[in-house]
Amino acid sequence: MTTNQEHDDFEESALDKATSRRLSKLRTVPVDTSHLDRLIRTQIPRAEQSPMRIWIRPLRALAASVAIVALIGALLLSWSAGPVMASAVQMAQVHKDLIAGRLPVEKVDSIEQANQSLAAQWPDSPQLSGVSGNQQPPAAHVMACCMKSVKNKKMACVLLQSNNLPVTVTMANSSDVKLPSAPVIVRDGFSYRVETVGKLNMVMTERNDRWICLIAELPSDQLVNLAKSLQF
Amino acid sequence: MDQQEATKRFYDLIWPHRSVVLRIAQMMTRRLHEAEDLAQDTLMKAFKAIEQFDPQSDAKKWLLSILRNARIDRIRASASSAGNVSLDQLPMEIEDSQETSHSGGDENWNDPRRMLEQFSDRDMIAALQDLSEEIRWTLLLVDVEGLDHHEAAAILNVPVGTIKSRAHRGRAMVRQSLLAVSRR
Repeated sequence: MTTNQEHDDFEESALDKATSRRLSKLRTVPVDTSHLDRLIRTQIPRAEQSPMRIWIRPLRALAASVAIVALIGALLLSWSAGPVMASAVQMAQVHKDLIAGRLPVEKVDSIEQANQSLAAQWPDSPQLSGVSGNQQPPAAHVMACCMKSVKNKKMACVLLQSNNLPVTVTMANSSDVKLPSAPVIVRDGFSYRVETVGKLNMVMTERNDRWICLIAELPSDQLVNLAKSLQF
Repeated sequence: MDQQEATKRFYDLIWPHRSVVLRIAQMMTRRLHEAEDLAQDTLMKAFKAIEQFDPQSDAKKWLLSILRNARIDRIRASASSAGNVSLDQLPMEIEDSQETSHSGGDENWNDPRRMLEQFSDRDMIAALQDLSEEIRWTLLLVDVEGLDHHEAAAILNVPVGTIKSRAHRGRAMVRQSLLAVSRR
């Protein structure tokens, strides 16, 4: 048998593809790196600048630094004064970073834990709750949460698993983030803006002065249904 | 490169991938402390070799290569302390004939996607951990971490055809293992 023929024998069947797809979802299993982080930080301490080096800098350099900081501060203030538009591409990147483990997350098992963790990092963090007093939205498992800054605006991110697919729920204050000009779906009196980036769909809406965005490789209808089951 | 620059490069380029290293280590070993030891060993080796790392290349693949070598070193050390067994004698990969004579009970998988969604992540990880070392590595790199066959072949130092063969057999073995779970 030639090498090419051997390879043909291993062409992926539907069974192989389904198995591979299911295994790929293990990439989103959150891991708690806190103990490992402590072990590594003990052995590789982050370099800190010597205070002596700061004090002996020439005054001229210090003045230049102050001027640059003031300029950046002024730019940031003018930039962050009003609500910003979080683009679909940026939100897709947040989702990808979250499931790829590129964002530091806290592993949680319930919405209650997620809310506690987010509130510890951001006292005015938007809170998420399940339906009718349940702590878990139907057909969804809460896995991790974190804070993220997009265009200098704070966002609370919660990673859920629904239908075995990761779903990112992002929340921010409506005064910070505004809805994009995108196609609208209306359900039960609420309107949802729908965007797509590659295989990712996202629905955005506003409730009680909160901007909410759900992102996943799920049809928009399912994302809307999931959004309906959450209380903000 | 001085220590300060090495540390900065480590935290800028390598640190963001530590969760990938720990996740793979957890799936390769069965005990949390073993996984953390292996991940720590990997990250420390990466730090010591940081000068050799090209910042333009893929840090995740570089780390996975180090993780793979660290794992082999540990198996060798453990085998050696158990009686000087060489790596070649370890049950790293079972021969085809011993491994599975069928395709994972495929006749029971009329709707594979639906069937597979019934299993929890814990079931999937347990099925992976039942596999031989080399087949488990292949599925972790190709399916779990999404590397292509050539990238996995480079990390595992085997031909691409071997990766395809192992991936195919490994998936059948995972299904077989899951079928046993569903029948309990």
